[in-house]
Amino acid sequence: MDFFSSMRVSASGLDAQNKRMNTISSNIANSETTRGVGGGPYRRKDPVLAAQTDRESFGEILQNAIDENIQGVQVVEIAEDERAPKMVYNPHHPDANGEGYVAMPNVNPVEEMANMISAQRSYEANVTAMGAAKQMAQKALEIGR
Amino acid sequence: MADSGFDPIIGALNTSLNLRLANQNVISGNIANADTPGYKAKKVEFESALRDALGIGDQLPVARTNPKHINHGSSDAVEPAIFEDPNGVESLDGNTVDRAAEMSRMAENQILYDAATEMLKKKLGMLKYAITEGGGNH
Repeated sequence: MDFFSSMRVSASGLDAQNKRMNTISSNIANSETTRGVGGGPYRRKDPVLAAQTDRESFGEILQNAIDENIQGVQVVEIAEDERAPKMVYNPHHPDANGEGYVAMPNVNPVEEMANMISAQRSYEANVTAMGAAKQMAQKALEIGR
Repeated sequence: MADSGFDPIIGALNTSLNLRLANQNVISGNIANADTPGYKAKKVEFESALRDALGIGDQLPVARTNPKHINHGSSDAVEPAIFEDPNGVESLDGNTVDRAAEMSRMAENQILYDAATEMLKKKLGMLKYAITEGGGNH
């Protein structure tokens, strides 16, 4: 248990929120994409976060066997949203089906914006936590000066 | 280091700093996992750990019938109890982290950590003052 484990945990949080932000950007950028990878319209992506124990070296694995309570976070999977694509009537679109409907991505821009705000705030909270650990470490170095 | 031979307050401050650091680590973990489904917020049992370390806890001290016996209750290896916050409110994804509460606890923890380092600095300064017979150029 040291200052660096706190910083590593915050760093894992920054990394996870960063990946979350990337998927949100991808969703917004592809909100009109009718030809996604693997055919069909683009499907909304969602990162799956999971708690992870902070492990760097053998010593820490040993230490973590004792305290499993300080957990970082990681993105374990980028899941695809299973909601059905939106059907929009546009018979002149090259990807329109026989009835003139185009399958548009199941991305809701409002939802993405709300997620983006949430990711941004979480990122800031992790930055603040890391700053706090850093300031504490600097204070500790001043002892005895 | 409760029996470091110096002022017992120095040992107490040392323990307090260790516990504050443990608290910071736990809070960082909570903040990092604020969006993790099913994660339960964790807390450090601070006061009782400090009390035990200072030997004023509610547990009976181990008797020392010989001065060569190991001094039990020294604060060298304080392992604070970390537990899942029983008062946490679950959100829809089963997460119990309250970001605002975590941030305020972190700020409080940081200020008290700073206060402990300041006191430790003063204590060591006084020790230094005595060692240098009130003089010294520091």
